[in-house]
Amino acid sequence: MGFLERTAGLIPRFPGPPEVPEVPEVTTEEAVVRAPLGPPLRVRLLVAEGETVARGQAVATLDDAPRIHLVASIAGMVAHVRLLPGKKLSEIVLFRAGDAVTKHDTSSASDSSGLRRLMMTSGFWPRLRRRPFGGMPAETEVPVAILVTGSDTRPGAPNAKRALEGRAKSLQRGLAALSQLTEGKVFFCTTDADLPDDLGNAPCQVILHGVRHPQGSAGILCHRHCPAGVESPVWDVHAEDVADLGELLDTGVLPQMRLIRISGEGLLHGQSLRTHPGADIRQLTRRLVAPGAVETYSGGILDGRRASWLGITDRQVAVVPARSRTTARHWLVDALVHTPRPVPIIPTAALTQALGAALPAAPLMRALGAGDEEGAQRLGLLSLLEEDLALADYVLGEKGQIMAQVRSLLDRIHKENAA
Amino acid sequence: MNGGIWTRETVAMLLLACFLPMASSWVWYGGHLSLAFLVLMIVYGWQLLFLLARAQAPSLSGVITALAVAMLSPEQLGPLRLALGVSFGVVMGELVFGGWGRNVVNPATVSLAFLGFGFPSFEWPAFDVPVAWAAIPAVALGCGLGVMSVGLALGASFVAIAASLLGAIDGSVVIAAAIVFVLLVADPATAATTRSGAWAQGGLFVALLTLFHQAWTGAAPVQMAVAASLLTSLAVPLLDEAALAAWVALRRRRHGRT
Repeated sequence: MGFLERTAGLIPRFPGPPEVPEVPEVTTEEAVVRAPLGPPLRVRLLVAEGETVARGQAVATLDDAPRIHLVASIAGMVAHVRLLPGKKLSEIVLFRAGDAVTKHDTSSASDSSGLRRLMMTSGFWPRLRRRPFGGMPAETEVPVAILVTGSDTRPGAPNAKRALEGRAKSLQRGLAALSQLTEGKVFFCTTDADLPDDLGNAPCQVILHGVRHPQGSAGILCHRHCPAGVESPVWDVHAEDVADLGELLDTGVLPQMRLIRISGEGLLHGQSLRTHPGADIRQLTRRLVAPGAVETYSGGILDGRRASWLGITDRQVAVVPARSRTTARHWLVDALVHTPRPVPIIPTAALTQALGAALPAAPLMRALGAGDEEGAQRLGLLSLLEEDLALADYVLGEKGQIMAQVRSLLDRIHKENAA
Repeated sequence: MNGGIWTRETVAMLLLACFLPMASSWVWYGGHLSLAFLVLMIVYGWQLLFLLARAQAPSLSGVITALAVAMLSPEQLGPLRLALGVSFGVVMGELVFGGWGRNVVNPATVSLAFLGFGFPSFEWPAFDVPVAWAAIPAVALGCGLGVMSVGLALGASFVAIAASLLGAIDGSVVIAAAIVFVLLVADPATAATTRSGAWAQGGLFVALLTLFHQAWTGAAPVQMAVAASLLTSLAVPLLDEAALAAWVALRRRRHGRT
C-alpha cells in the first residue's frame, strides 16, 4: 500500500467527553429481535407472547428462507410481538428472565453445507452483509470474496484490538470456516495497530489500511480489493463476529456479547461496554447522559439512525443534544437558503478524501445526483452502501441527501435486475 | 445527523480569500474598483432574477465572476457593452445551467470571450508584474485548502517551464497566463474532476497559449490566455471522460469488473 493510499481519508473530530476506563458487561432488562436493516422481512413466528425463550433460541424464521432464524439475544420472556401488515416483522420485545442458553449441534458443520445450516439456525446469518444492495445474503448465495473488517475507522468506534483480546483461536477457527463459504479469498482488513498478534495459519489474506476514515469502511475496501457486481456478490462481516463463529463451532453456543462504544456530545462521559444486539439504548446510556434533551443513535455519529435499540450489526451508540426548533425566517432569507433542487456540489480535495481517494468522487456524486444508474455502476456504486458515503455526506453538509440517493439508486438497480 | 462545512458557499468564500492578494495588488496598481462594482451589480441582478423566476439560490461565486471580468475585460468598453457581455456570460454560461456548480464553462470566461470577439477594437489590459506574483500565493492557498486542483497547477507549471526553457513563451504571456489561470482555469466547478484529467487540463491550457503566442499575430497576451482558457474549458469533459474510461479499463483488467 502506497503512501498516498495509506494517508487518504479524513479524521473528523466530534466533541465529546472523555471515556471512563471500565468496560462492563451489560445485559439489558429489555431487548428486541429485529431483522437486519433494509426492507421489512416476512417472517413466521416460532414463539408467542408470554413464552419463555433461552439466549440464542430461534424466535422467528424468514418466510422466504425458512432455514434462516432470528434468535433471542437474551434469555427471557416474549413481551410483545409487533408485526407490520403482510406478516412483516417490526420487532419482538423480550423481557429478561433467567439465563438459559441454546446449544447447537455442530457435528455436521465440517462441510460447507453443514456450516451454512449451522450459521443460519444459530442466528449468525443476519450478521453477514452482502454487496451489492446490502442486507443479509440469500441461503444459497456463494460470494466471490469475504471481507472481514478488523478495524473500524469511523469516529467513535470501539477499540478493535480490545474486542478481539484473548480470542485468537476463535478468530482463526472462524476465518477457516468462512473460507469454506467462498470460491474466492477471505480478506482480513485492519490497521497496523489493530492487527491481532496471532492469526496463525488462518486461510486469509491480510490487508493493512490506514487509520483515516473511510479507509476501514467495508465499501471502500471492497471497491479497492474485490469489487462487487450483480453476479459477483461480496460479503462483509466484523472480525468480532468471526471470532463468535469460531466459538460457536467450538462450543455450540453463539456468543451474543460484543464490544460497543457510547460516545457523543450529549454525554457526561463516554464508555465502552460489552452488550448484545437489540440492547435497550436507554438503559445503556442511563447513567451517562448529560442533563437536557438528547437524541440517541444506533450506529456511528456519521451514519447512525435514531433508535432506542442497538442494531444487529451496530457497534456504536451516539448521543447528541436534541436539535432546537428553528424560528421562522423572513421569506427572502428562506428563499435564499432553501431551494427545491439541492445546491450543486463543488469538487474539492475534501470530497476526494471523504471517499478515501479510492474512486472518482466528483463524477460519482454527479451520477448519484442525476440518478444515472449506468454511470454510478461504472464508477463502483455496486461495492458501496449508504454508510460508505456517510462521511462525504457529512463533509458536504448534505444532511443525508447523498445516502438517500445511494439507497434509492441501489434499490432501483436491484429491482431492475430482479425483474 | 450532522453537517460539515464544505458546501458550495464555503468553497466560494475560500476562493475569494485566495484571490484577495491578487485583487488588492490589482487595485493598488491602478485597477478600477468601480468597474468591479458595476459588474457585481449586473451579476447579482441576474442572480436575483433567476432566484425569483426559478427559485435558484444565488451564490457568492458572483463576486469571483465580477472580479475576473473587471480585471480581464478589454479597457474603455463603456457600461452598455460591458453589461451586454457580462449578461451573456452570466446567463448563458452559468445561470441557465442551474447556477455555479452545474455550469460547464466559467461565466467570466464566456463574458470575456464575448467581449473580446464582439468588440475587437478595444484594447486588452496589461498587468504589472506584482499582480502576477500574487497569483503564486493564490494557487498555493487554493491547493492547500483543497479548492484548487494540485494536478491542474502542476500540469500547467510543467508545460510552462518546458515552454519557457524552449523559448516558446515570453514574460508578458507568463504574467497573463498566471492571472487567467487563477481567475478562470482553476475554477473548481468547471475544472477537470479526475486526477489525470486535471494534469491534462493544466498542460493543455499552457500548450494552447504557447501555440497562440507562436501563431496568433497581433493578439494581446490576456486575449490569448482567455481564448486558451475557453478552449480548455470546452475540452475538460472530454479529458475527464478519457480519464474515467482509462480508469474503468484498468479496473476491468485488474478485477474483471468495476
